[in-house]
Amino acid sequence: MSGTMKQTWSPPTDELQSVLAELKETVGACMQCGTCTASCPNEFAMDVTPRRMWRMIQFGMLDEILESRTFWFCSSCYMCTLRCPRGLKLTSAMSALKRLASLDGSRQARKNGAFYEAFMDNVETYGRVQETIMMNGYFLKRKDPAVPLAFIPMGMKMMARGKLHMPSGRQRGLLKPLFSKAREMEGGI
Amino acid sequence: MRKQYGALVVGAGIGGIRAALDLAVTGHKVALIDRRPTHGGILSQLDHQFPSDHCGMCKMLPLMSRDSSSQFCLRKGLFHDNIDIMLSTEVAELEGEPGKFFVSLSTKSPLIDPTKCVSCGKCAEVCPVRVPSEFNAGLTERTAVYLPVPHAIPNHYVLDLDNCQRCWKCHDACPTGAIDLKFNERVDFHILVVDRDPAVETMLKDILNELNFPLHCVQTGQAAVDMLASDDRIRLVLVGMNINDMDAERVLTRSLELNADIPVVVMAETSQISTAAAMVTQGAREYLVKPLEAKRFVPWLDKLYMRIMSDTTEDLEVGAVVLAGGFECYNPVVDPEGGEDIWSYGHPGVLTAVEFERLLSGTGPTGGRLLHPGDNSEVRKIAWIQCVGSRDVKKNADFCSGICCMFSIKEAVLAKKATNGAVETTIFYMDMRTSGKGYQRYRNKAEHEKGVRLVRSRPHSVIPVNDGMDLKVEYMTDAGELVSETYDMVVLAAGARPPGGMEKFALTMGLDLNEWGFAQMQPYASERTSRLGVFAAGSFGEPRDISESVIQASAAAQAASRIIKVYDVLAGIESEPEPEYPDVSREPPRILVAVCTSCPTLEQTVDLEALSRKMSAVHSVCKVISVGATCTGEGWAEIEKGAAEFKPNRVLIGACMPYAYIPRLKELGRSIGLNPALMDVVDIYTPTFVLESEGQAEKEVFAALSMAVARLQGADPVPVPVTVDVARSALVVGGGLAGMTASMAIADQGYGVCLVESEEELGGMAMRLHTQLDGSDPHKFMEELIGQVEKHPNIKVLKDSRVAISRGSAGRFRSAIAGPQGVFPLEHGVSILATGGHETKVYESGLCVHKSVMTHLALEEQLATGVLDAGALTGVAMIQCWRSRDEDRTYCSRVCCPEMLKNVLTLKKRNPDLPIYVFYRDIMVQGFMETYYTQARKAGAIFIHYEPDNKPKVAFEDGKPVITALDPVLNAEVEIRADILSLSSGLEPNDVEDLLEVFGVEVNEDGFYQEADFKWRPVDFLKQGIYMCGAAHSPRRMDETVASAKAAAQRALRILSTEKIARETVVASVRHSLCSLCQACVAACPYGARVVDLEEGKIIVDEILCQGCGACAAVCPNSATILKGFHDGPMMSVIDAALEQPA
Repeated sequence: MSGTMKQTWSPPTDELQSVLAELKETVGACMQCGTCTASCPNEFAMDVTPRRMWRMIQFGMLDEILESRTFWFCSSCYMCTLRCPRGLKLTSAMSALKRLASLDGSRQARKNGAFYEAFMDNVETYGRVQETIMMNGYFLKRKDPAVPLAFIPMGMKMMARGKLHMPSGRQRGLLKPLFSKAREMEGGI
Repeated sequence: MRKQYGALVVGAGIGGIRAALDLAVTGHKVALIDRRPTHGGILSQLDHQFPSDHCGMCKMLPLMSRDSSSQFCLRKGLFHDNIDIMLSTEVAELEGEPGKFFVSLSTKSPLIDPTKCVSCGKCAEVCPVRVPSEFNAGLTERTAVYLPVPHAIPNHYVLDLDNCQRCWKCHDACPTGAIDLKFNERVDFHILVVDRDPAVETMLKDILNELNFPLHCVQTGQAAVDMLASDDRIRLVLVGMNINDMDAERVLTRSLELNADIPVVVMAETSQISTAAAMVTQGAREYLVKPLEAKRFVPWLDKLYMRIMSDTTEDLEVGAVVLAGGFECYNPVVDPEGGEDIWSYGHPGVLTAVEFERLLSGTGPTGGRLLHPGDNSEVRKIAWIQCVGSRDVKKNADFCSGICCMFSIKEAVLAKKATNGAVETTIFYMDMRTSGKGYQRYRNKAEHEKGVRLVRSRPHSVIPVNDGMDLKVEYMTDAGELVSETYDMVVLAAGARPPGGMEKFALTMGLDLNEWGFAQMQPYASERTSRLGVFAAGSFGEPRDISESVIQASAAAQAASRIIKVYDVLAGIESEPEPEYPDVSREPPRILVAVCTSCPTLEQTVDLEALSRKMSAVHSVCKVISVGATCTGEGWAEIEKGAAEFKPNRVLIGACMPYAYIPRLKELGRSIGLNPALMDVVDIYTPTFVLESEGQAEKEVFAALSMAVARLQGADPVPVPVTVDVARSALVVGGGLAGMTASMAIADQGYGVCLVESEEELGGMAMRLHTQLDGSDPHKFMEELIGQVEKHPNIKVLKDSRVAISRGSAGRFRSAIAGPQGVFPLEHGVSILATGGHETKVYESGLCVHKSVMTHLALEEQLATGVLDAGALTGVAMIQCWRSRDEDRTYCSRVCCPEMLKNVLTLKKRNPDLPIYVFYRDIMVQGFMETYYTQARKAGAIFIHYEPDNKPKVAFEDGKPVITALDPVLNAEVEIRADILSLSSGLEPNDVEDLLEVFGVEVNEDGFYQEADFKWRPVDFLKQGIYMCGAAHSPRRMDETVASAKAAAQRALRILSTEKIARETVVASVRHSLCSLCQACVAACPYGARVVDLEEGKIIVDEILCQGCGACAAVCPNSATILKGFHDGPMMSVIDAALEQPA
């Protein structure tokens, strides 16, 4: 079989395998035309282009996939899904990749998904983003004192422009039913 | 009585023309219809075709009995004694069965009488309407009364009633009264209105009085039915849905029972639309939605009246039906959900491929100069985007249109040519599908010599930037970089779609459609639709390029002629024998000149008496007569009377539209006993349309007439025809699928066939196939075919034999066949070479060394026979184009990609988890085959693209292959370990060196037979009477092989169907005393009709092969070669006459 494609360092769990199989089915018909990647507004920030990501899924390169931060940058604009000539559900594939990464639980995957998780937690709790609280959550997840320091200049800039708001609890819990419904639909993950 | 035809051909594009001509030359009467007002289909819009980048459609004209079809450019006009063309005509009904179909045709009237229209264009000058021109693909505008195609012959204006504003200016402007809008017949057009609403009655009364239609209003259904029964003047029924005593449906049914042809229109409330629509399917003509408004109702009624009065229907009885409806181009404006598509098609710089072709055309909006349609500026950078609306499941197109790759390359080459190479051309593609004969070379030439840039990537959209001045195209490189480029112009390679209205058409014809809306075709018989006796020609069944469409059309013609033969259609109808004309060659010429004065433009501009005087003075003119209207029967009788009185031996008619008279000259010849070759018709009307200076028209008319007089003076009376008695049997070389199919096709027509096979068994390469992608069983098919061939009473099979010698020419060959029983002599009229091909033998990559390496065919065999257990495998690798499309063999073998997909799908079916890796350059699966590629990808096979300069490397570890290659998407080396390595080694033609000598034919640089013309005569050799088919012509799949074999058989039937082949009137000959044997003519002859006989020291002209083109006479330095009817003397006197000033 494929020699240069390393086996995953720990045998993947059944759950991981089933998500991967589902992903393979989703993007199996991809013919690498690159329309998705050229359409993606966040492509500049991704370490692996979407096209290469689909390719990695086809090859089953689980560890490389989990190392990548690409899918955390997907903002679900659905441009790729809209334009894919093969009619593939690429945005769903990105979500499935997020699911895959949160299942994995490895250090790298946790690190890459930390911001996304902090953001979602924050929105779930407060009904809208509370920047300061969200960043605290993010720093806690990263457990690395260097991270908050790196964000100081940006925080100063945002403060100067009035982009940091005092936490407000007015919409607290408003989106909770939405999140629980989504969890129910995803089968309690 | 119904008119009888051998076949009805629906669609007069290239496929329809080919099928109609093929049937017509074998003696069948053909009705050729098209719903457009012109013939020629999409090709009337296209000026250039690769590989020559010219047209060349005229090469399809019949090579024998040329006089039966006028030798005009086929894009302009099609004339054949056996073909009746009916334009603006559609099939309304098709009933009956093979051999006896009853067809009813409905023809939309052009509302302009073609016998009166002299194409002066006065009507279009006054027409206020402007709509996009169909001919120029919307790049220019046309009027409502217009010429559909500027170059057609005959070319008459037509009135597009749908866009007409009813100003009637054209009617007043027409100098000949050709536009007939039926003003006077209105008073006899009684309209019956059945409606309970008094408001409707009042309104209608107001309106209809103004329009002069007599109106009868009743309130009840019973009264309406009574009225219809008693009053036969009623021509139209308007029925409301609110009558009390009976349903509107009932009124409709009763009306149609009383008069089956009466148009009934339903007037419905908005809430009743669905019922009204149902009534349309029950026979109502259409429905209107209340309330009726005069503004919409009046034009509608007026147009309906003209349609009812002018449109005609015709009933035919035909033996077989050939459908050649072609395809429609995808419209990039809207996506199926109705939203705007992403290609910015509204921008003037974004064109479809057809629009671009029009832009480059000499008859297009810019006269062929490459200018930006927005502002007429020079174009500097053009991008082509492939697969717009093709290979896109979201556009319901999981198929490849099969034509776009090549036309885009051609357009890029043409753009380079039009600008002397200044324009930058880029083609964005996914797979460059160059799998036709010579296509790969054309691509290589475009890329490496002409500088066309090819980029393997699919841009996501086209976005106008710089205030709409430029068009931005973004795409991904293999390295994963996003590149943004700007272009002046973007050409969308819009793919093929089923022709408009296909669903309704299929219902009328009783056809099954496939999931993409094209006609469903049968396996191994790609010309057969789901209905017996109804065949598909051209690209009707699947999008095809010209060459394949032409082959498909001939195959459909073959299938149709088989039905005609089997059911003995039109038995007993004999064509009239050619009459014998008196020999007038010893008499001094006496010319009768008849001048038609029917249209006023001539009398207004030319002094007819003076003209008559002047013409009478011309040498050899015996009499000049004026005829009222030569286009009518009376006018014709006047000419006959004149001829009887003055006893001329030449007749010249001055009229309009000479081509319209050609069939009638034959009749005149019969009635007055004069050879039609000694008659001529010249156009004297065109000079009177545009007046530039005083007396100019007179001069031109005189010159036209006196030139024709000079020509007639020198006209040779027709000599005694040379004929060849046809040996009515065929020799077929090669007993594979192609040879056997061709043999069956000829033998079924009742002619003897000698089938020569060099192997000990029939079957050839197709016997190695076990399965097909469509699930059919090729083995069973082949075995049945072999059984049929061996049992056929008309086929003699010679196995283990070779053709040793073959001499003679079309119609009569003498050959000797050497076999185990000795030498068998044979006389035959035609030869078909179907020598086939074989899988290329490659001795590398461990093939023939390691058991784990095999070819695709071997893998198929091992899977089919169970030698290989798919369940026990852990990985399979396949490499495409292993020795195709490179320096050794610069062509695509066409069969390997489907073969690979077949193996992938079989393996995946048996072992879904088996990893399969396919290394490829371009996946060549045109047409509906594309869907199997999608299936293979979906099934999980991984396709890895490679470039020819970095091929996958194969090594072996423990006897198992290890393949290393670069995956361009990952941009990393991958190493694949597999149990099996399957190679596509490609297809090579069989070695035919001895046959080339025996038959005097040629092969191309790849060893495939060289056809007379790639597009227009794809299965003919240059030498007449010899045809090719199957894989010896080009790599072909089984159904394509069958189509080519049937096409070759149909071409051969042209010769076999006649007892004698006659020499033509216009042929070349050599005056040997003047000939210096320079042989320039031999090289110049495009038909191979000349050879040099070194022993005799003479140039020999084969008078059957000679087509009278005159190329030889033009190159001959000594005027030793002469063309009958075009001698120097008469030609010079014609020129003299043209230059002569009238006294």
